[in-house]
Amino acid sequence: MKTGFCLVVLMVVCSAPAHAHHVLGRPSYSLNEDSTTPPSMQVETQIGDYYVTYMVFPAFPSPNQPGRVNLYASRIDNGAPFDGEVAFKVRDDSLFNDDEELLGVQLPDDNVFRQGFEFREAGNFIVRAEFEAGGEPYRIDFPLQIGEPARWGPLGLTVAAIMLALITVNLVQRKRLVSDKIRSGRQDRAG
Amino acid sequence: MTMTHPGLPFAWVLATCVFMLVLSANMLLRNPAPGGTAKTISLANIPVLGAFVRGMTGTPVLLLLLKIAAVCVFMLIIAAGLSGSQIPERNIATVLTWNIWWTGLIISIFFLGSAWCAVCPWDAMATWLVRRRLWRRAHPNNSLNLRVPRRFRSVWPALVLFIVLTWLELGVGVTSSPYMTAILALAMVLMATVSLAVYEGKAFCRYFCPVGRTIGFYSQLAPVELRPVNTDICAGCKTLECYYGSETVEPCPTHLVMGRLKQNTYCTSCGNCSRSCPDNNVAWRLRAPSREAIQDARPHWDEAWFMLGLLALTQFHGISMAPFFEGWLLSVASLVDDSGRLLLSFSILLFSNLLVVALAYAFFTRLTQKISPHDMDFKKLFSRFVFVSLPLAFSYHLAHNLNHLLRESSGFSTLLLNPFGLNAQPLSMMEKHSRHQEILFSQDILFALQAGLIAFGFWISMKVIQHRGNALMPEAGWRLSPMISFAILVTGLHLWLLMQPMLMRF
Repeated sequence: MKTGFCLVVLMVVCSAPAHAHHVLGRPSYSLNEDSTTPPSMQVETQIGDYYVTYMVFPAFPSPNQPGRVNLYASRIDNGAPFDGEVAFKVRDDSLFNDDEELLGVQLPDDNVFRQGFEFREAGNFIVRAEFEAGGEPYRIDFPLQIGEPARWGPLGLTVAAIMLALITVNLVQRKRLVSDKIRSGRQDRAG
Repeated sequence: MTMTHPGLPFAWVLATCVFMLVLSANMLLRNPAPGGTAKTISLANIPVLGAFVRGMTGTPVLLLLLKIAAVCVFMLIIAAGLSGSQIPERNIATVLTWNIWWTGLIISIFFLGSAWCAVCPWDAMATWLVRRRLWRRAHPNNSLNLRVPRRFRSVWPALVLFIVLTWLELGVGVTSSPYMTAILALAMVLMATVSLAVYEGKAFCRYFCPVGRTIGFYSQLAPVELRPVNTDICAGCKTLECYYGSETVEPCPTHLVMGRLKQNTYCTSCGNCSRSCPDNNVAWRLRAPSREAIQDARPHWDEAWFMLGLLALTQFHGISMAPFFEGWLLSVASLVDDSGRLLLSFSILLFSNLLVVALAYAFFTRLTQKISPHDMDFKKLFSRFVFVSLPLAFSYHLAHNLNHLLRESSGFSTLLLNPFGLNAQPLSMMEKHSRHQEILFSQDILFALQAGLIAFGFWISMKVIQHRGNALMPEAGWRLSPMISFAILVTGLHLWLLMQPMLMRF
């Protein structure tokens, strides 16, 4: 209980008014004002001493379509941009897969780390940006959807689960009915 | 870039504070006697509206048509969420679900009580799938009819699911993902169907549905109720059709006996009781809003926690949409070394808020216990006075949702032309600015309504304290000051939250 109170007090003390561009950690989509190119997706988040903004262009990349990730990291305390190198890696976003592939290592270009990509197949991927600052390793993961998501998969799963439940209930009911008949038959014979 | 809506001006806050202080002083110094008997008006006797009410209660056809319409819209939301554009402001799934339905639903309770539950699409789909009937009673009812395990026969499961729903809504960001909105809708259908197929009655509605229970508790403050016309007829009734149903009408889905019904909490407004009663002794009627929360509703331990949870989660909606929340999130993320979607930091803040509200209420209850003239059981006091949180939560929820509904529903007409958002682009800055400026009616009226609602909530909370306090300790007077302080503290916090600029959803 004490810890809870301390945490809340600390949060109130530590909080400072901030101008919100969008909700932290949540993707937001925006249109490029100066062209008719597809929209991009941005996420702002924080890791350790750094405030990180990454942008994926296009927001909804397709297989065999070139795209890029732009990453910008600045220190939370003084706003100084990170000027080391950032390694971009990618892995399949499946439960038992840890195989990573290196997309590239980038140096800043006008404080922005730009990494191009092109995926041959549709799927869900995790892009990891890795860098080291002040002797500490920093790893930031963000999901990347290539191609259309499994649009009707959830619907199919729901329908299958409902059917399974209804069929199971029906079978149990039939079994109950048969048991009842046997029981009443026995009672009749005994009576 | 996200726009922010302006907060409530200081003048309105000041006026509400003055009202609050005058009312509190009056309570403490004069301790006015609780109100007299309840007056009600039968809705069936009101011109024009009465015909509609009679149509709704007399025949299932009108209700069935409304259910079919609700299911069609619900299926459109699922289809648009799964296969439409993933840009939230361009897809009807997110705009209709979160900007219009979820915000409008709370406002509808203020006028219609639990009417939503009567046309609830996931319950309608579950009923049609399991019972295999559109409206008549099914024999057999195609359910295993198992009793819900004793440990789940409370509103704890609904409270847990409500916390999960809030976490998904505000933390994971289901509100800005059409795909996840559709999956949530499918999950509701699945849970309602499996529950109906396995358990007796509508266990999902009674024990599990976070939306239904929220509506149920807030309905204690609604101006409408479904009650017996003549309680003597119910007292003499031996057949209890309202509870068991009739040959053609299903029994009460939440196991309520009309003759003993004192509160709306578990009534789903399905109208089965009114259609099955052989004496036509059940009718919709108008009543003094909040009378139920003030004196009729019975206190229960699990319900007390649900009401406190409702207060905390409602506040948290406001907190998470204020610009300062980002600073809080960053501070917690630094403390716990969180990164990425900051879900851990968000969860810590969510649970801290629940904890703070519960501890604050427990503290003021303990103070009341300390200064009460008799030995009072803490649990009893905790459950009795908790109704004070209901009007406070409801009034803030309404005031907060008015902002969403009036300021964020513009652009819906364009969505009707392209509900899936096919080939649509995100809003340009100009469109965002234009939507930000659009409001359904004057901003001053909105501010007046918000201040009025907060004052109304405080006034009802005072009546709750007064009635329930005097029932526990005759001539309670100054001994009610801890609970009055709690109401002042919560209302003050709500006013402060309303003063903050609010992030526009999308």
